[in-house]
Amino acid sequence: MDDSKKKSAVGKEKEKEPSNILVQIAIFVSVLFVSNILAMFMPKSFPVPAPVWGLLILYFLLTTKIVKLHQVEQMSTFLISIIGFLFVPSGVQLYTHLDIIKSDGIMLIIAIIISTIVLLVVISYTAKFIIAISSKIRGNGKAVSQEDNDGNN
Amino acid sequence: MAIINNSFFGIFVSIVVYLIGVFLFRKSNGFFLFQPLFVGMVLGIFVLWTIQHLTGASPTAVYDAYWQGGTKNHLGANFLFWMLSPATIAFAVPLYKRNDLVKKYWVELLLALIIGLFISLAVIYGVTKAMGLSDRVIASLLPSSATTAIAMPLAAGIGGEPAITAMTCILNAVIILALGDQLVKLFRLQKDPIGVGLGLGTSGKTVGSAKAVQLGSIQGAMASISLVVIGVVTDLVVPIFAKWVGLV
Repeated sequence: MDDSKKKSAVGKEKEKEPSNILVQIAIFVSVLFVSNILAMFMPKSFPVPAPVWGLLILYFLLTTKIVKLHQVEQMSTFLISIIGFLFVPSGVQLYTHLDIIKSDGIMLIIAIIISTIVLLVVISYTAKFIIAISSKIRGNGKAVSQEDNDGNN
Repeated sequence: MAIINNSFFGIFVSIVVYLIGVFLFRKSNGFFLFQPLFVGMVLGIFVLWTIQHLTGASPTAVYDAYWQGGTKNHLGANFLFWMLSPATIAFAVPLYKRNDLVKKYWVELLLALIIGLFISLAVIYGVTKAMGLSDRVIASLLPSSATTAIAMPLAAGIGGEPAITAMTCILNAVIILALGDQLVKLFRLQKDPIGVGLGLGTSGKTVGSAKAVQLGSIQGAMASISLVVIGVVTDLVVPIFAKWVGLV
């Protein structure tokens, strides 16, 4: 799956061996270092967390080719694949919120489930609708579909 | 207590309960309630609860042992939480891989997130009001499209309870991971990869985005965009909405 994906996604970039893992970590750490500083300077009323800055910086470094794909891709794929596990302590954190669940009860949980579903469905359909309208205006009738994914399904 | 006041207690518990989840998930052929994160969370809470009742220690002491090895600012499960920062940055890669779509559609994507969030807020407000929840709880739920760092101060600003907001953000992610596939099928979202990506990224944050990356490169890139943009959009939209409906 990986081979076909890389080729078609960023076609011009040559496939290279992944960089040394320490180089990859070094890039992540430098980006985090800078983004933590940026986050520190954001006003309290308008917080932009360090990870968001970091995502933007790394994206910027990739688009300007300062950082090459093969220098971060392996690390990135690994980190994304273990996010479910990394989230376990956050889930266990609910242990400290058991009193809230006790006091506001089952209604709160239902409301949270509903709000999650609403966000997913409404945002999805809004995007579909807006892109359909804009493709009509631009006159290129074909919208992006599942088939445009590059063979990793 | 002395035994569990140990940096590796929290990490050990987390990885064991998660692996039990992975095992159950595989044995049950992917039954949604056996989603590893969900199993890990429930078992993890159960372990702490059991220790609390066996030793008679206070909940905070047990939790501190799990979270930070019993000493303030020590290492514990918070190390895994800390690793979520580099993991969030990692989404720059799927985003960059579909830069073609980002360049082509960025106006539409931005509009979709702003308008979509407004409509979502209206629906959530309507439903929770109809359920008879208090304004304090409703105000805590509204900012939950952003990550906790943004959502908690926002909730406090519109009269909500930041602790409820934190809990909502966590549960959002768990629900999306457990029910995401079923919801996508139920609401027939799968034919529109851009929409699904944005939706999963907004409702499930980093966890939802990891799920989107599994679905395909377009979904992954779109979820990564929503990770960046939705925080700022939430920051701007929620206070306006709260003023409109008279929460503040």
